Amino acid sequence: MECAVEGIIETQNVEALEILLQGLCGVPKQRLRVHELCLKSGPNLGPVSSEVRLLCNLEDPRPTWTVRHVGGAMRGAGAEQISVAVRNTVESKATKNVLRFFYALGYKLEYELLRMGFAFHFQRGAQIKVTVTSTNKMAKLHAVDEIMPLTPGIHLVEVTAPASADNYSEVVSAISSFCEYLAPLLHLSKPGVSAGVVPTAGAAASSLTSDRGGKPL
Amino acid sequence: MTIKWLLYWQPNSGTAVNSQILTEVSQCVESINATKGGRWKSSLTYYRPQPKDQSMPLTDCPRDLMGISLQEQPNKFYFIIRSQQIVLEADSMLQMIMEKLQSYRSRALVSFEGFLYHLGDFQLRVGKVVTTQADNLRGIVMEVEYLPISSIDKSRQILEEFFDMWQEIVSKKSLPGIFTHIEANYADYGLLDHYTSQHTVVQYAAMMNQLLATVRT
Repeated sequence: MECAVEGIIETQNVEALEILLQGLCGVPKQRLRVHELCLKSGPNLGPVSSEVRLLCNLEDPRPTWTVRHVGGAMRGAGAEQISVAVRNTVESKATKNVLRFFYALGYKLEYELLRMGFAFHFQRGAQIKVTVTSTNKMAKLHAVDEIMPLTPGIHLVEVTAPASADNYSEVVSAISSFCEYLAPLLHLSKPGVSAGVVPTAGAAASSLTSDRGGKPL
Repeated sequence: MTIKWLLYWQPNSGTAVNSQILTEVSQCVESINATKGGRWKSSLTYYRPQPKDQSMPLTDCPRDLMGISLQEQPNKFYFIIRSQQIVLEADSMLQMIMEKLQSYRSRALVSFEGFLYHLGDFQLRVGKVVTTQADNLRGIVMEVEYLPISSIDKSRQILEEFFDMWQEIVSKKSLPGIFTHIEANYADYGLLDHYTSQHTVVQYAAMMNQLLATVRT
């Protein structure tokens, strides 16, 4: 299970967001160049259509594939009232033939992306992970070096933290509190519910980049 | 470093495996001064594809998908599709992902359980093959593990010598059958000369194929 919010930011403000995150987290950023494959079950396979993602950060010294399944978000009146999605996610590392394995099972490639950017992992009431990435498509199948932006000028920001049935409300609070610090630059909301860009983000970004004066925070 | 040969009991035609044979085989192991260690158990699950529409069978989906968990790798789970020569190593969480996808359902569980014995540079695991539906004995399995070497080629001679010695010991009991070793073609699965748990999985799948063929005839 995990708690998640996401938002978008204009690429010109990403540097300011990085400065802000660096100051808030106090940890070095991790570079991301994530090859993502989304696979969907064949037309007659399974009582319900199913989807699985294969992810590999090509920036890792020894890149390995992760199989990720994201279940439906928690529903009900209580879930409606909170601004963070609480959803079931399961991840597993797998050997590099995992794509061939899922093809053999009858899964088809739905889409393929390369997400480029950075991530911060830190403890702040929960084990929070913030990723800031541009989304790119490939000119040819699996051609990770021949990419073009899918959403030019826009970066996706995702804030997630692992949770359990016992502690998710504390994790939701931790994420909500953290998101307030980012509010000058971006709106974060439940995945799939876009809140758009912050109109005054440019001014906030200028302030952040000029305050820094080229010195580390 | 380690290498394993998997042996299984092949009964003479017209005879069946029984618990008396297992007792006598265990006595053979003890007669060569092997020290009895703890209990040992591995398991194998057969999966079947689930069609959305029961009237349209899934002809292009593999019907020989097996999932294997090995005691020496408690955090790993293995999938193998013999018809397509794919062996996949993953975290044990992949089992949960498969359940959530619902595209394949487990239909039979086979356990291999018995005792571990230490014998110098060798470790021997001798046990029964049982299905969970009926706890009766379906076969006898033996893992011969040689600890100092992990090269399949370099260990071949010593394992062949051990195998011959073992056959001689068992033959003195005049039991109705012999131990058999299957020469698995690891290269077909993309596996190298350096022995890994994936090689063990290939051997288990090959053995189950043989055991089922024996039961059918």
